[in-house]
Amino acid sequence: MSQAVLLHEPGPPENFSYEDITVADPGPGEAQMRQAFSGINFIDTHFRSGLYSPGDLPAVLGREGAGVITKLGEGVTDLSVGQRAAYGSVMGSYAEIRNIDASRLVPVPDEIADDVAAAMMLKGLTAQFLVRQVRKIGKGDTILIQAVAGGVGLILCQWAKHLGATVIGTVSSAEKAAIAKTKGCDHVILYEDVDFVEAVLDLTGGRGADAVYDAVGVKTFEGSMAATAEFGTVAHYGAPSGPIPPEVFGKLPRDRFLIRPTLPGFSAKRENLLAMADDLFAVVKSGGVSIEINQRFALKDVALAHVALESRRTTGSTVLEI
Amino acid sequence: MPKAIRVHETGSADKLIWEDFDPGAPGPGEVRLKQTSIGVNFLDIYHRAGTHHMPLDPLPAIPGVEAAGVIEALGEGVTDFAEGDRVAYPITVGSYAEVRVMPTGDLVRVPDNISDDVAAAIMLKGMTTEYLLNGITQIKAGDTVLIHAAAGGVGLIACQWAKHLGATVIGTCSSDEKAELIKAQGCDHAIVYTREDFAARVKDITDGKGCRAVYDSVGKDTFMGSLASVAPYGTVACFGLASGPLPAIGFADFPMSSYVTRATVRSVTDSREALLKCSSALFDVISSGAVKPVISATYALSDAAEAHRAMEARLTTGSLVLKV
Repeated sequence: MSQAVLLHEPGPPENFSYEDITVADPGPGEAQMRQAFSGINFIDTHFRSGLYSPGDLPAVLGREGAGVITKLGEGVTDLSVGQRAAYGSVMGSYAEIRNIDASRLVPVPDEIADDVAAAMMLKGLTAQFLVRQVRKIGKGDTILIQAVAGGVGLILCQWAKHLGATVIGTVSSAEKAAIAKTKGCDHVILYEDVDFVEAVLDLTGGRGADAVYDAVGVKTFEGSMAATAEFGTVAHYGAPSGPIPPEVFGKLPRDRFLIRPTLPGFSAKRENLLAMADDLFAVVKSGGVSIEINQRFALKDVALAHVALESRRTTGSTVLEI
Repeated sequence: MPKAIRVHETGSADKLIWEDFDPGAPGPGEVRLKQTSIGVNFLDIYHRAGTHHMPLDPLPAIPGVEAAGVIEALGEGVTDFAEGDRVAYPITVGSYAEVRVMPTGDLVRVPDNISDDVAAAIMLKGMTTEYLLNGITQIKAGDTVLIHAAAGGVGLIACQWAKHLGATVIGTCSSDEKAELIKAQGCDHAIVYTREDFAARVKDITDGKGCRAVYDSVGKDTFMGSLASVAPYGTVACFGLASGPLPAIGFADFPMSSYVTRATVRSVTDSREALLKCSSALFDVISSGAVKPVISATYALSDAAEAHRAMEARLTTGSLVLKV
């Protein structure tokens, strides 16, 4: 027997229940892990509320975790029992023990602790494709990060600075502005007080930002398109403020590139996943990006973590200790 | 008095009126052109019809955006061009006229080996193609591209040019006759999209991978299929709306790792440097013989309405030229 948090019905955070479950042996191509930490992400709240389908019920939510491989199913050859491993974007992390598609597991280097690995797999790999693939950020680029004090935002901010870019970030409070500044954000905009499009155009001499990263959604997206420079890229990689109405996408900005990138899209091939993880581990080891775990909850208290995320009181990464 | 085609009120092709007009004298930084050959573009139809938020304003106005001719008078301060220079321009409204006055910043010199008809046939369509292939998407050998309306003005240039760059070219068109034509012009695979599900065919042809670039000037009828036909890291470039405005696109319709852009040649023509660079790349690829412009029909300028009707009925292929 092991413990897991089950969702029997989509709805508010109190629908989570902490229960004993029995985990079967891993099937072909699977690995079984004893997890040390689960990451927790805003997207989890969409699966809990029912905005996105959580799949068969009861469901185990959560999309990133780290721990030790305890069993291997048939045909898994590039991993071994006892190895430390982590993953992002695979449902089912709110559990002590889980089975997982082994092709989604990444070995974790010794220098990276379990809590850091769990906190950064989804967010760090997301940041990886955003600054290194969606557009190769480098010196001379100016980028705009919406919700820069969030989990992905702070990683993006540090990574882009490390690559030599000028970073403009938006936040919802003075407290979050202070956190963004400590992570190197060059210009912080309080988007509830200031028209961020005008602010970005002012800061860039009217040109706009070379890349705009928007996971806020409906509140910001039209502005994000307007704040993008000619031949710049606007990446829409999530929608906490709600899905964007279809007609907004119809207002495609002229000579700007719009992309709706996802981690499953960029990491579908195992070779790409491993290369992206190497890149992420390297920048974390170098100190170029530090992973801030600012909230820790026990696995059984996942409902409290969801309340904190939805009230937008969290900064950086949040983990569940298992 | 010189004559021009003018639009007094927007609407059908009947609204194109052949009449006398006074082009005026060139002002500072302007020249007067004796025009010889005038290109016809779908854009002209949008202008004439007053659709797509592209009205001609104020009316009456002279439609058309592309032509070639000879400079016959210089305005004050013009030093970079001389009387007698052969020139052409890609996108300055007011081209359906025997004579016109315009700023020199929009003009490029036409090389001796390129005729006025060819220049008029390729300026906008060829520069659009150059911008799409080399600017927006940077096509390389081995890439697979999908070109909608491949038998059209941009389409036939794009098929040849993409092939010249080493790409595998998939083209869509509306009839079997057009399919034969695009195959002869460099298309490796021709899809008659009025009969076949082009997105399914593209999937088959590319072993499920999709195309590195999709060039869509059709809009409403093709856009969703275009989104389904692009490869990861590839680009869908929407550069026209011949069938109507884009449908509402939902979050889930977007490909998971591909780019979507609305491309306009304005980005090239707004900068003198970019205009010269783009037109020079175009003249080079024409001069080398790698791209052979297809002028499928010429009309007298006074018969511009006929050219519009043929284009709207989707009866035309390649470039149409109006002769002065």
